[in-house]
Amino acid sequence: MRITLVNVAYLVASLLFVMSLRGLSAQQTARRGNLLGTLGMLLAVAVTLGAVVAPENNTLAAGPSDLGLLAAAIGAGAVIGAVLAARVAMTSMPELVAVLHSFVGAAAALVGIGSEMNGVRAGGAPDVAHHVEIHAGVFIGAITFTGSVIAFLKLRGTIGSKPLVLPVRHALNASMVFACIFLAVAAFRGGADVRVPYLLVSTGVASVLGAHLVLAIGGGDMPVVVSLLNSYSGWAASAAGFMLGNDLLIVTGALVGSSGAILSYIMCKAMNRSIWNVVFAGFGEQGGAVPAAKKGEPAKKVNETNIDGAADLLLGAKSVIVVPGYGMAVAQAQHAVKEITTLLERRGTKARYAIHPVAGRLPGHMNVLLAEANVSYEAVKEMEEINEDFEETDVVIVIGANDIVNPSALDEPESPIYGMPVLEVWKAGRVIMLKRGMAAGYAGVDNPLCYLDNTLMLFGDAKASVQKLLHALSAHAEQKAA
Amino acid sequence: MVEEVKAGANAVLPAEPASGAQKPGSSAKEAEGAGKVSIGVLKEIEPRERRVAATPASVGRLVKMGLEVILESGAGASAGFEDAAYAEAGARVVPKAADVFREADVLTKVRPPGAHPETGEHEADQLRAGQKLISFLWPAQNKELVERLAKRNATVLAMDAVPRITRAQKLDALSAMANVNGYRAVIEAASHYGRLLGGQVTAAGRIKPAQVFIIGAGVAGLAAIGAARALGAMVKAFDTRPVVREQVTSMGAEFVPFEFQGETGEGQGGYAKEVSEAYLAAEQQLIAEHCRTSDIVITTALIPGKKAPELITSGAVVGMHRGSVIVDLAAEQGGNCALTERDRTVERYGVTIVGHTDLTSRMARQASELYAMTIVNLLDEIMGKKKTWELSLDDEIQRGMLVLLDGELKWPPPRPEIRGGAPAPAPKPPAHAHPKPEVPESPWPARIGTVLALGFLTPVGLFGSQELVQHLTVFLLACVVGWHLVWNVTPALHTPLMSVTNAISGIILIGGMLLAANGGGGGAPVAALLGAVAVLLASINVAGGFLVTQRMLRMFRK
Repeated sequence: MRITLVNVAYLVASLLFVMSLRGLSAQQTARRGNLLGTLGMLLAVAVTLGAVVAPENNTLAAGPSDLGLLAAAIGAGAVIGAVLAARVAMTSMPELVAVLHSFVGAAAALVGIGSEMNGVRAGGAPDVAHHVEIHAGVFIGAITFTGSVIAFLKLRGTIGSKPLVLPVRHALNASMVFACIFLAVAAFRGGADVRVPYLLVSTGVASVLGAHLVLAIGGGDMPVVVSLLNSYSGWAASAAGFMLGNDLLIVTGALVGSSGAILSYIMCKAMNRSIWNVVFAGFGEQGGAVPAAKKGEPAKKVNETNIDGAADLLLGAKSVIVVPGYGMAVAQAQHAVKEITTLLERRGTKARYAIHPVAGRLPGHMNVLLAEANVSYEAVKEMEEINEDFEETDVVIVIGANDIVNPSALDEPESPIYGMPVLEVWKAGRVIMLKRGMAAGYAGVDNPLCYLDNTLMLFGDAKASVQKLLHALSAHAEQKAA
Repeated sequence: MVEEVKAGANAVLPAEPASGAQKPGSSAKEAEGAGKVSIGVLKEIEPRERRVAATPASVGRLVKMGLEVILESGAGASAGFEDAAYAEAGARVVPKAADVFREADVLTKVRPPGAHPETGEHEADQLRAGQKLISFLWPAQNKELVERLAKRNATVLAMDAVPRITRAQKLDALSAMANVNGYRAVIEAASHYGRLLGGQVTAAGRIKPAQVFIIGAGVAGLAAIGAARALGAMVKAFDTRPVVREQVTSMGAEFVPFEFQGETGEGQGGYAKEVSEAYLAAEQQLIAEHCRTSDIVITTALIPGKKAPELITSGAVVGMHRGSVIVDLAAEQGGNCALTERDRTVERYGVTIVGHTDLTSRMARQASELYAMTIVNLLDEIMGKKKTWELSLDDEIQRGMLVLLDGELKWPPPRPEIRGGAPAPAPKPPAHAHPKPEVPESPWPARIGTVLALGFLTPVGLFGSQELVQHLTVFLLACVVGWHLVWNVTPALHTPLMSVTNAISGIILIGGMLLAANGGGGGAPVAALLGAVAVLLASINVAGGFLVTQRMLRMFRK
């Protein structure tokens, strides 16, 4: 296949990717965007296969065994991916995304190591630029890999979500970065024999660094971490493009990298924090201090309610807003919640959903869940759209959300979440807060909302509570019909 | 400061910063120190004014908010509220206005301060230095009054300057008054009409329903439609803003549309605006046609702070049949009808023209109740939980209403940015509509650019290869493209976007393929194997990413 033809095909694929991202920016065009992306990828893979099997000048000739290996790898990967995609529960979306990021990271690291091996075998003195590209690519790839694995484990709950805050962690991080730079320099100077071993050691160090970085970030910041890792996976692909001299990889990686970076930035803005603060501040460090400091105060009272009380409130309300949080995702309560709002709407109640930008463990997580439960996206409002409406709302149901409805973010400067915009649910007539117990949210901050006079606590598992509530409501509806 | 005001009109007023951001609330904070903030209620001095700024019910609310209320004796008498009822609600009733001026921290009134008709003493001059005043003020028309108040170093909030945003509706005194006004206009018209408004077939003959024509479908116009319909009349309503059609028809009236070379009468913030002369002529003609077939005409066309447009010419009045009635709600600002006489009911060419400006006072009890509640809501906004007078200049409502801050002129407020683009299709004020955020000013591109340029690109230029530079070009351009692509994504799509970008980053697959294939062409066998593993991982990523995105997007529905 003519090399120019290959490159033109790559160019088309890049454009398809650009259009794909563009399409993903609005609901109406999102599906087409996904399709375009898929097309781009198919084109790229097909053309690369063609180039590998029938190269223009035989420099790339692949033996039949290689081709079989390739086909087998692609086929197996595609099947595994398809099964994963079909099986995954929408509530586990964050985990899936995290684990997929780790694959990109691992692949990038492997490609880097492999091309270094090829380089050594081919002999000759290494080119500085190429050497830097390889080390940088492997470094980013390894960080993405282990970082994503840790994020995955945290999201699954295998590892606790509490940040691991070592005393000298900044020094540790810095020394690991310097170690990798040192190894790169040493490998360049050391000659052919040490190049691959040094690179492998460097990979190991970077892997530890990636794991440590993510371990130090608290569960509440996972949306940012996931989108940061998304960005890294892009940079890793781009770095691989540099080392292989492949523009398609460079372009695509850069697209993904910068879009992930912006997404992280948007997330951070939503929490009123900087990226540096999220990545390096070890959120939660100060978090425990506030409730602890207040222990001297007499125990504050909460108003508790039961299913019937909550149902009565809902039946009497003219307008209801549901504020879902991670708790709803964990309990998979979105379907029951949707049925409640449908029932209320049938009674003429105005029912809407308010989504905080960082609700859940993934940007847009709540939207996906509600969409799965068939909630019309027009009933789902963003924080800015709906914050002013709480005042005129009779009842707000908070389901498994905590920090995003915490009033101390607005009026308690000592609070670690001070300054973060929150849903001002307390302005509504009544707030029903579904909660498992009185534990603090992910940020480890006590929530004064629980103690307000107009807040009623409904303790219990979110799904069980929601389902009981639904029963109570529908029983009432039938009674009326009879 | 005062000299500046004297020097001329708005043009010389010091320009305000675009938002209150540079002047944080602290400058406006004024803790009243210990003790309750006291709210003074003055008896209106204008003879025809019968409303009052507080009712026993509103006093109860204020007291409950932790405020003290000092009320001039007899303040509510003309609206039907006795001193005793106020006292029972918790107000301290004092004998004279002077006592209120002396003791209250915040004065509340209905009308703008004016000279007492008997003593000639001007209310503005009685303000203590630094005292606060809340009332209707019409600062655009009452420049002299504003100067006078500025001399007292007063802080003044104008109830007529409440911004038209959703959040401010509960303090929208103008709308509350307009509602009462519109209702009363129909009652006035009916009392002069001399016939029933509703149609009936009786033994003594058939009664035709009255034809009512309402000009201007603002709050007053809509209230008038409702009242006239309730009395059984046939109602038509005219407005230059096509968007109010829906509101008019929802009230049960027929909408009379008007189009003139694409010009619509809709101005900023949902109010009507001034229009060209030819436009006005065409409008007058259309109105004259409809007047001819109407028994009752109620005009409510006002442009904020301007002389009312003359919509009913004397010719149009001549064309109406005898016994018809015109009620001109714009009489206070010159009237919509050429023959209106302010504060009088006159008969011209057989048509009764009502030009009274005190229609709300004729409904003093109702109007006072509504006005008093808007005052309570305003005080609640300002005092909040803290029970101290704490103006927030960052707050759109308070900033919009603020005319004087400690004697310093703050009116007109800086123009609110019109969010949401064209205000035309907005029955609600456009300020409420939320557009997608514009690209925020981020220092990042600049910082990253500088670092790259200095620390990285220079050595590349000095030592790098041609190929490297080409790759870098491609890379940086792609970064910029990616940067711009993502800003406008709706938050709801963040997860699908992430899984698509994740799938796309599986492009590393290509790298793995090249590496694996190179094994056959003289590369290291281990490298080929690594490449194959990379291909495997990346394919999982590609397939999984695209398919799961597809699955997610299928779920989103309208």
